Amino acid sequence: MPTVTVALIKEHAQRVKPPRTLWVPFPFGFALGNPDDPPFQQKVLSAALGLLSENDVPVLAEFPEDADAPPVLLQASAAQAEAANRDGDPADEVTALRGYYERWVDEHEGRTMVGLSGVPQRQFRGLVRYLQAFAGGEDAAYDRAPEGVEPVRFLRLATDDLKAFFMEARFSQRPRDRDEELQRWFWSETAMGNLIAAVASRLTEQGEAQTANGIAR
Amino acid sequence: MPRLEDLPDLTRQGMLNFPAFDHDDAPCARMTRPLAEAKIALVTTAGLHLRDDTPFSGGDQTYRVIPSSTPASGIIQSHMSIGFDRTGIMRDVNVTFPIDRLSEMAERGEIGSVTGNYYSFMGAQRSPRRIEEETGPEVGRLLLEEGADAAFLTPT
Repeated sequence: MPTVTVALIKEHAQRVKPPRTLWVPFPFGFALGNPDDPPFQQKVLSAALGLLSENDVPVLAEFPEDADAPPVLLQASAAQAEAANRDGDPADEVTALRGYYERWVDEHEGRTMVGLSGVPQRQFRGLVRYLQAFAGGEDAAYDRAPEGVEPVRFLRLATDDLKAFFMEARFSQRPRDRDEELQRWFWSETAMGNLIAAVASRLTEQGEAQTANGIAR
Repeated sequence: MPRLEDLPDLTRQGMLNFPAFDHDDAPCARMTRPLAEAKIALVTTAGLHLRDDTPFSGGDQTYRVIPSSTPASGIIQSHMSIGFDRTGIMRDVNVTFPIDRLSEMAERGEIGSVTGNYYSFMGAQRSPRRIEEETGPEVGRLLLEEGADAAFLTPT
């Protein structure tokens, strides 16, 4: 069956040699360019599908336009070095952001990336208390974790749900903020960013560096 | 990017040293009908799946089925690396998995149709032997059984 692929790293496509590749100069996570920009996405898609008729393979075409997102993702350590106002209670932040989050979901036909941990967002205050206890040195498992999910794995899923909750709330609260502004806000201005970084530190201390590095670094 | 020259040294070295396959050439399967008549499949390595399906874990080489009629609200991503910015996919899953764009192309007659099922794998695989030998060919067979004429592949 003929295939065509979008590639983000040209150097990898040159080595792997898929039959038909459209290289795009976009950041990871943005394979078709810009979110909420159907015409731009369509241009990328049409350029890729157009390569299906090429039979002198491998063919590696280049998409000529850049996307909006910056190439490098701001990480927790860089943002927190700037520090700001993050001494509050992350559970209160959850409560304050809940209306914004629910508005985001309502306005997007139920679309949300929250849901991996199996904990309903209405129980996130309790989830925060559990994470605070873990970061503070306690080892009890979360009593409402889905059956069969190991505690370390649950921490990964739970912290990811909280990040998605905060980001999607922020989309609704500050619709014009993008990429770096969102990362900077989360890691340097919220107590939740601080708590998640503390969870990652505790995991590192426990020899779970791989999971920790996927949560914050 | 990722133009490698735009990346910090460490990330750039990580990309250059990534254990990608080194192939000498590429197999060529040809289209047997024009794009406007072709049935197109979508396959991604973005770690997407139905909201109720089992999340992927790192290095997971199984796949998930996503019916092409799934609304964007039914799709969630369990590839959670902090190596990429997830806010784009949170805003609009089409930025990596153009499920709506392909349906629109079919409605406009620019492609013939879409397959009933799309497929998703986990990305960032350093040793994807099981995908190469087992789960990848299995998805290929499923797509052929569905009458797919071509597949469009997207990364995270």
